[in-house]
Amino acid sequence: MTFSIIARCPTTGRLGLGVTTFSIAAGGRCEGIRFGAGVCKTQAYVKRDNDLIALELLAQGMTPAGVMAALEAGDPDHDWRQIAIIDREGRTCAHTGPGCRPWAGHHEGDGFVAFGNVLAGPEVIDGIVAGYLRDPGADLEFRLLAALEGGRDAGGQVGSEGHLTERSAAIFVASEPDHFDIDARVDLHDDAVTELRRVLEEFKIYEKFYRDRGYRPDLAMSQAEFVASLPRKADA
Amino acid sequence: MTYTILGRCAKTGRLGIGIATYSITVGRYAHSTRSNAGVTVSQANANENNNAIALRLLAQGLAAPAVLEHLKANDAWHSYRQIGVIDRTGAVAAYTGSNVRGWAGEVTGENYVSTGNGLRGQHVAEAIAKGFLAEPGADLEHRLLTALEYGRDAGGQGNATTHRTERSAALQVSSRHSHPDIDLRVDLHDKAVDELRRVWTVYKQYEGYYADRGRNPRGAIGQEAFMASMKGA
Repeated sequence: MTFSIIARCPTTGRLGLGVTTFSIAAGGRCEGIRFGAGVCKTQAYVKRDNDLIALELLAQGMTPAGVMAALEAGDPDHDWRQIAIIDREGRTCAHTGPGCRPWAGHHEGDGFVAFGNVLAGPEVIDGIVAGYLRDPGADLEFRLLAALEGGRDAGGQVGSEGHLTERSAAIFVASEPDHFDIDARVDLHDDAVTELRRVLEEFKIYEKFYRDRGYRPDLAMSQAEFVASLPRKADA
Repeated sequence: MTYTILGRCAKTGRLGIGIATYSITVGRYAHSTRSNAGVTVSQANANENNNAIALRLLAQGLAAPAVLEHLKANDAWHSYRQIGVIDRTGAVAAYTGSNVRGWAGEVTGENYVSTGNGLRGQHVAEAIAKGFLAEPGADLEHRLLTALEYGRDAGGQGNATTHRTERSAALQVSSRHSHPDIDLRVDLHDKAVDELRRVWTVYKQYEGYYADRGRNPRGAIGQEAFMASMKGA
């Protein structure tokens, strides 16, 4: 029970991952994104080592199809995994094992993969894809968020006892090797995708301030001064 | 303004960080642990590349003081940074640059670094260390959370006249896997340390289930069935 999107921004080459699920703290199990290498996300029944192995292989220049074959060769339970891979050039590969709980499936698009399991149906994947494609000129983090919202609004996750809410969600975007540009998470919430939008929009207000004070701390104002300089919220 | 505990469990060798701050999404600075390498933090006008560099040096076996010297030598603005490092032997190093704002400093001992800036005073850093040492036999993640709670309860961030709440917090622990054992976050909240304790308490109920269903998917039950079994227990 999870739905996700991995993507490469065709304009900037930035790599991104968006995930949401009924499980708690999904963002704490997303090691598979590295600028200059690619993105790999294993879900459903997760083999935790997969994503880091995949990054090592992607960094060496292996294709996503080659990486997938290597993961399959190393895993007797490959049939229970759902895996999506994108490389630094935007090539993709995806696998939804027959052991994944229904409904499960994926869609490989141009530079992205939408995929999920324990979903209401294929219309959820369609919703993720439509959300991602809605505004191709937007920053990748907001395209990923729109994709998650599209999946949620198309019905999201449905398990054996009916609809399952999103309890955790996360978005990561990388354009440098040693840290993420965007690294925003909601680990435990009743409406995690909605909360993730709140977190991401708040972070965007601070993004430049946080980055600049790291690069040129000698020129930085204090955070108290920065907060005081923000326009007051209309609804405050 | 931030306060942080870095800790190593002397019994198990597990390595971890607990961090809380007025800034939002502080977890982005807490990709701080690597199995069999060490744990590190760079805060106060954080140099966002430092953690990755420090973990690579620790993985090569450099001792904590040598790692700290490399980070300083690599950074023209290190006088604006606050850095902590523990290596896999439990040796520690910590540094507070002269240009870091507010009360800033550290309390260190074997296997731990308590470090903070923009704090109400030295007593906050001392309380964090005291919290870490309060239950030496407990799981490392509980000890790290307790350290943050002691820091919060000692006054946390601010100065003589103002207090700043914790808006974000994070917890990460690594042991023997290539990925962390525990990686939990609160990115935007009015009481982030309280919320982090709540997230951890709930997560602990699922931790074994999440690990087992991945290792043994053929025998795994669905999460709804697992939750029903918890209620029945």
